[in-house]
Amino acid sequence: MAELLVQQLVNWITLGCIYALLAIGFSLIFGVLNVIHFSHGDVAMTAPFISLALVQLLATAVGVSGPAWLIVAALAAALAVGVIGIVLDKTVIRRFRDAPAMMALVATVALGIVIRELIRHLYPQGSNPHAFPRLVSGVAFEVGTVPISWFALLVVLLTIALVALLFFFLKMTPLGLRIRAASEDRVIARMMGIRDTRVFRATFFIASAIGAIAGLLFASYAGVTRFDFGVMAGLLGFSAAVIGGLGSMPGAILGGLIIAGIEVLAQTFVPDGASYRLVFVFLLVIVVLIFRPAGLLGRPVMEKV
Amino acid sequence: MSVLLRVENATMRFGGLVALNDVSFSIDKGSVLAVIGPNGAGKSTLFNVVTGVYRPTSGKVVFDGADITGKPSYEVVERGIGRTFQSSRLFSDLSVLDNVIIGMHTRTTTGVLDALFRPGKSRREMAACVEKAEALLKSGSGDLFEQRYRPAGALAQADRRRLEIARALASEPKLLLLDEPSVGMDETETQALIADIVRLRDVHLELSVILIEHDMQVVEAFPDHVMCIDYGSRIAEGDFAAVRANPRVQEAYLGKAAAHA
Amino acid sequence: MHAPASSVAPGTGQAIAFTVLSQLAGAAFLYFVLKAEGGWQIVGLLALLGAGFYLLERLPWITDYAMASMARVPLVTFATAAVVVLGFPFVVGSNTYVLHLLIVAQLYAVLALALNFQLGSANIPNFATGASYGIGAYVSALLAINFGLSFWLTLPLAALAATLFGFVIGIPSMRTRDTYLALVTIAFGVVVQQLLNNFDWTGGPNGLVGIPAPSLFGHSFADPLVVFGWKLPSQANFYYLSAALVVVAIITAHRLHGSRIGLAWNALRADEIAAKAQGINVAWYKVLAFAVDAFLAAFAGTIYAFYVSYISPDNFTFLVSVTIMTMVIVGGMDNIFGVIVGAFLLTILPEKLRAFADYRLLFFGVVIIGFLMIRPQGLFPQRMRRYGGEP
Repeated sequence: MAELLVQQLVNWITLGCIYALLAIGFSLIFGVLNVIHFSHGDVAMTAPFISLALVQLLATAVGVSGPAWLIVAALAAALAVGVIGIVLDKTVIRRFRDAPAMMALVATVALGIVIRELIRHLYPQGSNPHAFPRLVSGVAFEVGTVPISWFALLVVLLTIALVALLFFFLKMTPLGLRIRAASEDRVIARMMGIRDTRVFRATFFIASAIGAIAGLLFASYAGVTRFDFGVMAGLLGFSAAVIGGLGSMPGAILGGLIIAGIEVLAQTFVPDGASYRLVFVFLLVIVVLIFRPAGLLGRPVMEKV
Repeated sequence: MSVLLRVENATMRFGGLVALNDVSFSIDKGSVLAVIGPNGAGKSTLFNVVTGVYRPTSGKVVFDGADITGKPSYEVVERGIGRTFQSSRLFSDLSVLDNVIIGMHTRTTTGVLDALFRPGKSRREMAACVEKAEALLKSGSGDLFEQRYRPAGALAQADRRRLEIARALASEPKLLLLDEPSVGMDETETQALIADIVRLRDVHLELSVILIEHDMQVVEAFPDHVMCIDYGSRIAEGDFAAVRANPRVQEAYLGKAAAHA
Repeated sequence: MHAPASSVAPGTGQAIAFTVLSQLAGAAFLYFVLKAEGGWQIVGLLALLGAGFYLLERLPWITDYAMASMARVPLVTFATAAVVVLGFPFVVGSNTYVLHLLIVAQLYAVLALALNFQLGSANIPNFATGASYGIGAYVSALLAINFGLSFWLTLPLAALAATLFGFVIGIPSMRTRDTYLALVTIAFGVVVQQLLNNFDWTGGPNGLVGIPAPSLFGHSFADPLVVFGWKLPSQANFYYLSAALVVVAIITAHRLHGSRIGLAWNALRADEIAAKAQGINVAWYKVLAFAVDAFLAAFAGTIYAFYVSYISPDNFTFLVSVTIMTMVIVGGMDNIFGVIVGAFLLTILPEKLRAFADYRLLFFGVVIIGFLMIRPQGLFPQRMRRYGGEP
């Protein structure tokens, strides 16, 4: 029993970190643009495909392979996805900044479809699942008899590092401060002239690159990736951000942990819980939104009359 | 004369900000109350508390003998309080006529089942609304009737204010709350607005009006009952001459207005 | 200057000629699209369609003239429409594939009209129309399979069940808005789909098979339809059934749109706070929009289930909801005619572009984004209500 608990605890934290990283992107973009980038999950899940393609390319064109090169490919993919985020913002998302929320939402849902279909058509045998290797393998240490993998450790440490880095960036650098100003008060930010392209570019790059890392970790955790994983990744990340409170970084992390917690609890303690885990997750989303429409850590917005 | 609306010790706090501080006043049936005070003094908040947009932190709103404190807006309208907004809130993609007809929502009864299974009833009610709305559009100043099929968003500023008043009147209110109706109007339009309000009171002897105004011309036209609010508190009440002479009012409001003039 | 009626007032003779000819032309166009084979014919027809829209856009009086003509001679308009709809299967003949496309297009037209109450009239994002559609299909199929209820009895029961579901998803709309509300509807959609996928009594991922064909006055819908010696394939039964449903949906939409309820929805779409200040119980009207949507969607679901006689959770996914949404956006929000055109175009075109069958979703995605960026009002934008001139 204790072993099972430890094992599930590890699963919970690993999955929770991945969801939190996804949720941070949703929250960051919503904070700055006031737009829900619904295809964020799909953008994130392009990263495993890009890195698989890069690994192939490295093997055939340069003739190098191995775990180290996998990491290199993954990092390059994260950067590439950051750039993809900027491009999508420029071409599509930014045009809906001042449109009714419904339009932005539908447009980004459609954008998600386009991204998934492009992966499916552009990647060789894109409709099929593709095996994705563990970024790091082996056992780091044991708790009792339960082995804790290097991978789980990597996920946790990477998440802490990224959150710390983001925190530092938002608090200490001029650009970060401008992003925060823009997200805290759009009206003031506009008056101060912060509404410039650099803020948007930086926001989308950071959100997409962090999302890409989450996508890579997710594929690595599942051992497999498929063109339509982005739907669920997006839904779960978005749900985490909303439960925590859109625009709130601690909220995004809390939301990610809660969603992962529900999933793991359902799988462990409910008979046939694995098949019903999404039901539990989304029922929770509904309940939280009914009772706390602004999320757990979000500030309720009062419309000025 | 009997009291139509009584506000007792209304206080409204938003976090640490006190927007209304223990404000009490009342208005009789068939009279006009002008509310003045500098920007941000809490005048619109007062309207929002009366109409149920906000629930006051403490205090009471009694209308026509019933306690309506914190009742939802739609119920307040049904009881007979119509209002306009400071920043005009028209249904801009709908026609001028539709805006007024929507104002009759509480005076019409068609439900979903009626609309589906008794189309005759629904149509007759709609036709009656159209007739009433057209009469309302003809009665005010300006040429709103001629513009009745234009989208409300395409109207000129003065027409927008007039349409908001027509829409509020469509609910057949006993009390009409006008939030700075003369904003964006020129001299002639303001005079026409005053004439409109005067005419309205001649036709509906029971109608009471609360008027938030910056334009002293308008306030002067209804000098009997004036109240001045500053920093959320009522600082003076009486007839226009008395309020104007009050040193606190001069300091808070007229002094600044004079400086601007 | 602002004439109440149209500035081009057609005479009675002109009006009759116009309404008859325009509807026949529309039917002929639909016929050629359905019959077209090969990409080039379709491309040609699409070019024709594009030219038509260009003309409508450039010369707005055409639309005014059309509306005025139809309003002038309503009986002729309805009679022509009835002849076209009733006669179409006779023209198509024994081509069951074409009939199948028409049935699906009509069911989607109903779904799109249902969603239009929310998306179009009230601007509420609802990603659960597919779930309401599925609930209608499953409830009626389960009642028919397990209790032997006839199709005609399951129809109102399924609608009732879905309407209750509509009220349930509508309740959070009292507290949440925009993005949050959209997530709630998505969550409901996922929950319904996952439950259908997991319950034993819904057949799990395999779904339900062997839904019996409906029958009317002893005539089974599985049999060919014989009218005046003409023998139409069995699909014709469902064609007429779904056509009847489209008529019901149009009447529902038209009556609600023209009533105080349609105005209240439009009001809360434009400005919720102002709508409340007019005495509109915004929360109630939002819930109502959800209920009406679910009600109509359930009818479509029931007919679908009995038509294909086999349903599975895959028929009612999030993507189905997105497809319905695309139809409303492309056709024109809050425009009944536009929404129907959107449903027909987006059902038939991807089927006809067989060469691109695999790129269908990509096509949908690009079309939605394109429309939202370039023409958010859709092909047929909403029109101002006119009073007095219309029947």
